[in-house]
Amino acid sequence: MALLEVTGIETAYRDRLVALHEVSLGVDEGEVLAVLGPNGAGKTTLLRSIAGLLRNQPRKGAIAFAGQDVTRAGAERVARLGCGYVPQDRALFRELSVAENLEVALWRRPRREAAADLHAVFRLFPVLEERGSQQADTLSGGEQQMLALARALLRRPRLLLLDEPSLGLAPQVARAVFEVLREIAGQGTAILLVEQNAGMALGLARRALVLEAGRVVLEGSAHDLRRDDGVKRAYLGLGAPGGP
Amino acid sequence: MRDASDVIRVLGVLVCGLVLAALAPDAWLVRASLIFIYALAVLGQNLLMGYAGQLSFGQAGFLATGAYVFAHLRSMGAPFLLALALASSVAALAGVLVGLPSLRLRGAYLAVATLGFGMAVYHLLAGSDLLSGGRTGLAVPPLALPSGMSRTVGLYGIALVLLVLATLGVRNIVSSYVGRAVVAVRDADLAAASLGVDLARAKLTAFAVSSFLTGASGALLAQFLGHLEPQGFTMTESVTLVVAVVVGGLASIPGSLLGAVFVVLVPTLGSGTSWFVPVTYGLGLLLVLSFQPEGLAGLLRGLRNVLRDGSSR
Amino acid sequence: MSALSDYVAAGLASGSLYALVALGLVLLHRTTGVLHFGYGEVGALGTFVAFRAMQSGWPLLVAAGIGTSASVAVAVGFYLLVLHPAIRRGARPATLFILTLGLAQVLQGVIVRCFGAEPERFPLPLADAPALRAGPIVLHPITLAILATLLFSCLGLFLLLERSRLGLALRATALNLEAAEALGLPTRALLALAWGLSAVLAVPSGILLAATLLLDPFFMFEPMLKGFAAAILGGLGSLPGAVVGGLLLGLTEGVVGATLGLPFRNSLGFVVIVAVLLLRPQGLLGQPGKERA
Repeated sequence: MALLEVTGIETAYRDRLVALHEVSLGVDEGEVLAVLGPNGAGKTTLLRSIAGLLRNQPRKGAIAFAGQDVTRAGAERVARLGCGYVPQDRALFRELSVAENLEVALWRRPRREAAADLHAVFRLFPVLEERGSQQADTLSGGEQQMLALARALLRRPRLLLLDEPSLGLAPQVARAVFEVLREIAGQGTAILLVEQNAGMALGLARRALVLEAGRVVLEGSAHDLRRDDGVKRAYLGLGAPGGP
Repeated sequence: MRDASDVIRVLGVLVCGLVLAALAPDAWLVRASLIFIYALAVLGQNLLMGYAGQLSFGQAGFLATGAYVFAHLRSMGAPFLLALALASSVAALAGVLVGLPSLRLRGAYLAVATLGFGMAVYHLLAGSDLLSGGRTGLAVPPLALPSGMSRTVGLYGIALVLLVLATLGVRNIVSSYVGRAVVAVRDADLAAASLGVDLARAKLTAFAVSSFLTGASGALLAQFLGHLEPQGFTMTESVTLVVAVVVGGLASIPGSLLGAVFVVLVPTLGSGTSWFVPVTYGLGLLLVLSFQPEGLAGLLRGLRNVLRDGSSR
Repeated sequence: MSALSDYVAAGLASGSLYALVALGLVLLHRTTGVLHFGYGEVGALGTFVAFRAMQSGWPLLVAAGIGTSASVAVAVGFYLLVLHPAIRRGARPATLFILTLGLAQVLQGVIVRCFGAEPERFPLPLADAPALRAGPIVLHPITLAILATLLFSCLGLFLLLERSRLGLALRATALNLEAAEALGLPTRALLALAWGLSAVLAVPSGILLAATLLLDPFFMFEPMLKGFAAAILGGLGSLPGAVVGGLLLGLTEGVVGATLGLPFRNSLGFVVIVAVLLLRPQGLLGQPGKERA
């Protein structure tokens, strides 16, 4: 059975603007699924409804995580079940230091385990250990993204919901982030990845789907999608008529 | 006045008012007068809080300003209308001054600042025998009315006419360009600014007009009471106005009137106990903000819809 | 000269009380982002309950405990039943502020109903103790009690907020509610805790105030406003600021009262509010932030 099972969900903004129509997807334990699509397709809405951050949504359909029904569950419950969420704006505690941001994530973790977990996280993100006492909003974009990831990881999630991790980052910084994501996936954490940078996303994911105007229009293995003409044109900047 | 239906409505109101004046017992007229007077202040507060979104917890300060300036002017011999106009204008000026902080503050902080203003006015009055008339308070010379008209009826008529004028005026303002700019300010400061709305002007205008109305209300109140004491213009009065606006219905002209009715009638229901009023006001605030943000006006609209076509939408 | 030192001592005492009230207000604001207009009444309720308890023969500390429990129950109940649902619905801070006004009104009515409107003296055991002299300064034991309470509260709050995981969780929740939820923090419980804690601060302030003034249903109102002024002066985001603001306000009031007279003394708090919000909204010790439009 899949770790995350989303079945035919529909969400509506203020009861009128339907953002997601009959969207279904599944993420297995340890798998990476990429969600591609243009702006306004509903990718963020999708993540937020899974994460439990939309009130009274989804209107229809069901979401099950780790075997439990979390269709309308609140963010706390979803987080406790092992689903971590990193939004586009990173959602850092800006006025707290890097170390404090991390420590919040260690809420209720016994001291010894906390130390070990921090150690593991610093191994992945050495820069965070250096910047420990710095205030979170003085970090660079890439460092903030790493802090957000590290914080989510400290919760020992089984699934990470990532909203545009490469957003606003210079190409090599984005590459570095994706390297870390590869390692995280390698350690067995499942990832549901929303990305505009389709090339990088398809390089990491095993499967992918394309969301347009709130509907799933294409689905398949990353390998296949990379070869799909439509995807190539729209999201990979390749195959323009007469172009290279 | 905009069109024929307006003229008819205004005439209709005035006629009803006249009929009431002729038939109703004095006690009713007194209560109605108080409602009209309060409604002026509530309109002012609603313009500020409901339409312009500026929280003001110190309206008692403007009431007091209007009342005392009016009273002093009348004591010096000024005729009624002149004193009224001047008092309201002074209050409007004070409003602009108090509105200056609103350019930099928002929400609860503005509320606290305006609260400070209201309390400062009270303490100033309470501490100055010259301004407040000392221990015996300040007396207001009675109105010079045409012979045969009782004081009650005279005040009632004046309050009614002024209220009608104010209501029309507020409605025109609200639907005018300036008015819509002010509402835009309420809903999205930054967006409004980016569209070229002069934020400062819009906010200050709101404060000025609102305090003008509140000052006028204070002046009428002074004439109505005949006698002023600083105790009548404390935080309690400011709170009463806030309750009236919220419970009646924010950003709603009928709401302002309903709110005035609410705060004038509730004390009469309490049969003299001093705990009934605050509890009712408090519950009113809690219930409205929790369940029916459009206040009594919203309830009324829902009721009208139900009666008209069987649905509450 | 002794007159001035009297004023200073009195200013210190009242300043400490303002600081205590301000502490509670700032705590609430830092953790929940709400300006609590009903704070004074919550404290007043507990004070009245304690008063009745003492009249029934309970010793001071037990009575204070009973009163505090009552206030905590009201504060937490209000948060869970009224404020939290409102926040969930996306209510703006202004709306929340008016909701707290609603609570203040209801509590005021309840107090008058349950305890009557007659002013009474709060029988604090220390009230009749003789004053102590330290050089030219005369300190009444109540002043000492106030100072001690202030010190204790400051220490407790500091340890909680800055040196404990619970405090960190509270601070984080205040900074970014969604992020805190996404990390699995029990935000509702945390915020309720903050509200309960503020009530724990409010009741001792109320009792000490009642001992220095008279106990009537409205006795907390102006002290609460002064507490607001102190909090704003010191900086709403800053607990040390609350203390500094309170003491400064108290001392200045003392001096102004001695030199300029009573009406100016009483208006000072409100002038301070307006002046600070206009000139330096973040207060003396706070950081520039969300007050500005």
